[in-house]
Amino acid sequence: MARKKPKAAPTFLGYRRPSGGPGARNHLAVVSVMDNTNPLVRRICSLRNDLVAVNTSFGRGLMGEDEAQHYRVMGHHAGHPNVGAAIIVGLEPKSAGYIAEIAAKASPWMPIEVVTIHEVGGTLKTTARVLEAAGRLSGHLATARRVRCELGEILLGTECGGSDTTSGLVSNPVTGMVADRVVERGGTVVFSETLEIVGAEHLLAQRAADAKTKRRLLSAARRAVEYAEELGVDLIGANPTADNIAGGLSSIEEKSLGAIKKGGSGPIAEVIGVGERPSKTGTVFADAPCGGVENITSLAASGAQAIIFSTGIGNPIGHPISPTIKVTGNPRTASLMPENIDVNLCDVIEKGLSYDEAAERLYKELIEVLSGKQTTSEVLGETEITVSRAALSL
Amino acid sequence: MARAILMHEKDNVATVLMDVEAGDPVEIAGAATSRIEAACPVPFGHKIALAAISGGKKILKYGETIGIATSAIRAGTHVHVHNLKSSRR
Repeated sequence: MARKKPKAAPTFLGYRRPSGGPGARNHLAVVSVMDNTNPLVRRICSLRNDLVAVNTSFGRGLMGEDEAQHYRVMGHHAGHPNVGAAIIVGLEPKSAGYIAEIAAKASPWMPIEVVTIHEVGGTLKTTARVLEAAGRLSGHLATARRVRCELGEILLGTECGGSDTTSGLVSNPVTGMVADRVVERGGTVVFSETLEIVGAEHLLAQRAADAKTKRRLLSAARRAVEYAEELGVDLIGANPTADNIAGGLSSIEEKSLGAIKKGGSGPIAEVIGVGERPSKTGTVFADAPCGGVENITSLAASGAQAIIFSTGIGNPIGHPISPTIKVTGNPRTASLMPENIDVNLCDVIEKGLSYDEAAERLYKELIEVLSGKQTTSEVLGETEITVSRAALSL
Repeated sequence: MARAILMHEKDNVATVLMDVEAGDPVEIAGAATSRIEAACPVPFGHKIALAAISGGKKILKYGETIGIATSAIRAGTHVHVHNLKSSRR
């Protein structure tokens, strides 16, 4: 898969921020601190067409790393480069303050307002207070203009969901080629799904930039295998599954290699946890779950201005803050659910389109989406957030 | 003509992009040897050997070892669980 020089320019039109990466969107986010403020946030967002709801399941009764993860993911959504201003809506000021603090640390330039039910008094008055704030902040956001930004300034998230034979053959390798272009320009790519590196973790570990990263990759995979064993599941022995074998996958290494192709081929600079912001540029692995919504939530919290979501059998979901580009190489999926697919790469299988040409197609879509083009999931509102849990609620 | 795709220049197998019958010529996209004759049927998405692979040798896809040949594999034959073993078990 030798690559030619990219044809499309490595620049896009984004929102320059006083610090941190540029925005591909300039959202006014209304962030629900916990599950108990979700209905209020949903109702408020239905009253204006320029608000984006950031809701969450859970939030109450969390402890230790689980609690830290919740606040980190929500705070990193509020302080996301694609958000121009945020309103944090909570039950009481302490927990709302945690999220505001994390958001302000991620984006010190961002106007952030905190409104809580206990301080204002009831959900009706809180609704009015949030709408007043939205009016003020929206005027500020309306003055922002897109300017030319370098591709190397972004963080791209890559994910695969609803995988099949065509994922390892077409959509994952092509996603990886686009990921490599971002890294070559000095940018960052975060890919994850720990379960999917199991079987090829020894090969991925050879790409680790340093001993610490190598240890973290291997221990992440080992933890997944051990946890599955506790639940009575033999990950190594049970893979590839009967479906996988029928599709042509002969070993767990082959299956995992096809999955990790979405992260490209660069050295692994760092391993991060769920929703953490990388401290390095280059190719970064996030030790995060595989479920599509949980995974794009983690990638967005890590600061992804956009996500490329590779799918085989098809999945409609995208992220509300981090535009999610759905790409498939499966002809059946492309004709069955065309309104949910952004980039159709079936020509690789059907017409002999080369990987270079396929990567160029996906790359052009990435540049357009970063510059403001709406993705299918944005147009249809097929967007969701689920913060992964690190423990049980008590 | 039937087509197969090579994922990496080091690979000794390619993935066929349509069902292939014995005797079918298969064009290999991205390979130095651009054509091979299928020695047996190979279903869509399955692997075809690009050269002879001796038993015990590594089978390479994506430029990495995906398993070990459990018997001698002739060029143009189907490579799958019957003649490839994971090196993880």
